[in-house]
Amino acid sequence: MLLAGGKGSRLHSLTKNLAKPAVPFGGKYRIIDFPLSNCTNSGIHTVGVLTQYQPLLLNSYIGIGSAWDLDRKDGGVTVLPPYAESSEVKWYSGTASAIFQNLNYLDQYDPEYVLILSGDHIYKMNYELMLNYHIEKGADATISVIEVPWEETNRFGIMNTDSDLRITEFEEKPDVAKNNLASMGIYIFKWSVLREYLIRDDQNTESSHDFGKDIIPLLIQENMKLFAYPFKGYWKDVGTVQSLWEANMDLLDKDCELNLFDHSWRIYSVNPNQPPQYICPDGGVSESLVNEGCKIEGEVSRTVVFQGVTVKKGAVVKETVIMPDAIIGHNCVIEKAIISPGVYVPDGTIIRPGESANDITLVSEETIGELQSN
Amino acid sequence: MNKQLLGVIDATTVHDDLQELSIHRSVAAIPFGGRYRLIDFILSNMVNSGIQSVAIFPKFQYRSLMDHLGSGRNWDLNRKRDGLFFFPAPNLDKHYTGIGTLDHFADNLDFFERSTQDYAVISNSYTVFNMNFQPLLDWHIKSGCDITEVQKEGKSLGIYLVKKTLLMDLVLTRNETGYSNMRDVVTDLDSQFHLCYYNFEGYASMVNTIENYFKTSMDLLKPEVWKELFPKERPILTKVKDEPPTRYDVDASVRNSMVANGGMIEGTVENSIIARGVKIGKGTVIRNCIIMQKTQIKENCLLDSVIVDKDARIEAGTVITAPAESPAVIRKGTVQGVGSSS
Repeated sequence: MLLAGGKGSRLHSLTKNLAKPAVPFGGKYRIIDFPLSNCTNSGIHTVGVLTQYQPLLLNSYIGIGSAWDLDRKDGGVTVLPPYAESSEVKWYSGTASAIFQNLNYLDQYDPEYVLILSGDHIYKMNYELMLNYHIEKGADATISVIEVPWEETNRFGIMNTDSDLRITEFEEKPDVAKNNLASMGIYIFKWSVLREYLIRDDQNTESSHDFGKDIIPLLIQENMKLFAYPFKGYWKDVGTVQSLWEANMDLLDKDCELNLFDHSWRIYSVNPNQPPQYICPDGGVSESLVNEGCKIEGEVSRTVVFQGVTVKKGAVVKETVIMPDAIIGHNCVIEKAIISPGVYVPDGTIIRPGESANDITLVSEETIGELQSN
Repeated sequence: MNKQLLGVIDATTVHDDLQELSIHRSVAAIPFGGRYRLIDFILSNMVNSGIQSVAIFPKFQYRSLMDHLGSGRNWDLNRKRDGLFFFPAPNLDKHYTGIGTLDHFADNLDFFERSTQDYAVISNSYTVFNMNFQPLLDWHIKSGCDITEVQKEGKSLGIYLVKKTLLMDLVLTRNETGYSNMRDVVTDLDSQFHLCYYNFEGYASMVNTIENYFKTSMDLLKPEVWKELFPKERPILTKVKDEPPTRYDVDASVRNSMVANGGMIEGTVENSIIARGVKIGKGTVIRNCIIMQKTQIKENCLLDSVIVDKDARIEAGTVITAPAESPAVIRKGTVQGVGSSS
C-alpha cells in the first residue's frame, strides 16, 4: 500500500498543481518511480496507490501500471482515491485512516502480510529481504530503519530497540535522542494484526489516525512484537527544495550509492519516447545527466537535465536541475537553481545563489518575472 | 477518425551492399539514429497519419524485427480490432523481386478481404522520412487515380497508394498480367490504369548501402533535417528501453552529436551518433562515427569514420580510422584491438 496523497508543501510551487510523489527527479523519473520499481523488482505485483492531493497528473502517470510491469490480470496496480459513503465523504485524515478506508480492497486479496510505503523517498530496496526478516523474527510489525547522523535525530521518528532489534520505544523528533535509528516510513504488518488495530484506531476519537503517532505507539504499548529492520544504502527524503536539489546533485557523483545504471535493479518510468539529445557544435556538457529530447547549445556542467529541455546559445548553467520541457534563453547565467517544468527563462537572465551559498533558487512561472536580467 | 487506410510494410528486402549490418537482422531492423530501427519511420508515419491497421511482410532474419515490434504497444497498435499484423513468407525459396510482392500478398489474401479499410498504402521498410499520408490519400481520391507512386524529385520512394479492391485484383490476376510487384504495375507503359505520381517535398532518404546509411545518419546532425524528422506533433516512435539519462563525466567533451540515453561518456565525441547504453572511456576520441547500442569503447582509443555495430568492445588504445567516403564497419558483438583474437 503506497501512500501517495502527500501535499509536500515545503516544495512550494513545485507541488502547487502536483502531488509530491509526482515531482520530477533524476533527469527522467518521478519520485513514485522508486517505490513502484522497488515493488516490481522485489516481486510484489499487487500494489494499491492511495491518492488524495492533486491526483490528476499522478493518476494519469500511473495509468494501468504498464511502465512498472504492474498491468496484471491478478493484482497489478490500483489507484485508491478517497470516496463518498452513503452518509458522508471521507477524506484520508491520516496515514492509518487512509489504509482503514480501503479495508475492502485489502480484504479482497486477504493477504498474509501488508507492506506500507510512502511516495516521498528516493531509495532502492529489496522488500523481499525485509519480508524474510519479518517472518524470521515472527514479528507482528517490522519497521525499516536507517542510521542518521546524531545531530539530525531531532528531524526523524527514532526507534529505540533492545539488543535483538526489538523495538521498545518510538520517539517522534526527540530533542535528546537515545538512538540514531530513524524510521523510513516503510512498514510490514501481519495483516490480521494490522486489521484489528486499524479498526480499533478508527473507533478512537482521540486518535489522529497516523501510523507513527498512533498505531505504532499503541502496538508497542500493548507489547506486540515489533522489530527494526536496519537498511544500509542510499535513502533520502526529498521533502524540501534544498533536499530535492541535493539528491539530484548526488546522482552526479560517480560513486553515488544510488546507481541508476544497475540493470539488475532498474528504475522504471513512463518513457517520453523523444529523439536522442542533440549537443550542438557550440554546446558543451560535463559532469551532468541529460535525458532524451534535449537540445544543448550552451554550456552545462554539474546539472541534471530532464527530457525536452532546450539550453540556448551562450547560456551557462551550473549545479542546476532543469525539469522537463523548460527553455533556458540565450546568454543566461544560472547557478544553483531548480527550473520548474515548462518554464521559459528569458534571454540574459542571471540567477546566482543568495547570501548563504546553499540557497537554491526555485524558478517557476510565478517567480520568473522577479528575476534580474541584464 | 481515419479508418480508410490500411498500412502494408514490405520488409522482405535484402540489400547486398548493407550486408555488414544485416547479417543478423533484416534491413528493416537496422539500428538508426541512436535509438531507432529503420522500420520505425514508416511505421510511425502510418500511425501518425491515423492508420490503425498495419501489416508487416517480412522474409529473412526477422527475429530482431519481431522482438522490436512486440505487440505494437509502443506505436499504440496493440488493439482489439485492427492493430499490428505479422505475415512472414511461408516459403523462403520463392524469389521476391521488389517492393509490394504480389505473391507474398496472395498467401495472405484473407487479411485484405477481412480488412474494412478502402485504401492501402504499401511501402518499403527502409526510408528515413516523416510524412503524413492523409494529404496523399486526399490527392489520390481527388485526382481520380488508380495507383499513386510517391516520388522524391522524380525518383520512386517505393511507396504506393491503391484501392484495396484493386490491390486484391492485382494479386488475383498476377499470372495473367505478369505483374509480380507494385513497381511492375506503375512502370508498365501500356497500363490500363490511371497511374499517378505524388511528389514528397520533405527530407527522405532510402537506406540501401553502407555509404548512404552513413550519410543519412550524419544528416541527422543538420538542425533542419532533425527538425523535419522529429517534430513534436509527429513523433517517431520506437521500442522504449528504460535507460537512465546519459551521464557525462567531468572530462567529457561532446560537440555536434546525437546521444541516446543510458550512455556513459568520459571522452571526446564529435560529429557522431551515439546509441543507447554506450560507454566511451577517458582519453578516447570519437569522430564522425556511428556507435550502436551497448558498445563499449575503452580508454585512449581513436575512431574516425567508423560504424560500430551493437555489443562490440573496442579495447584500450585501439586506433581505427577510415576515409569518410567509405566508413569502416565493426560487426556486432566483436572485440577489437589489443588482446583481441580477431
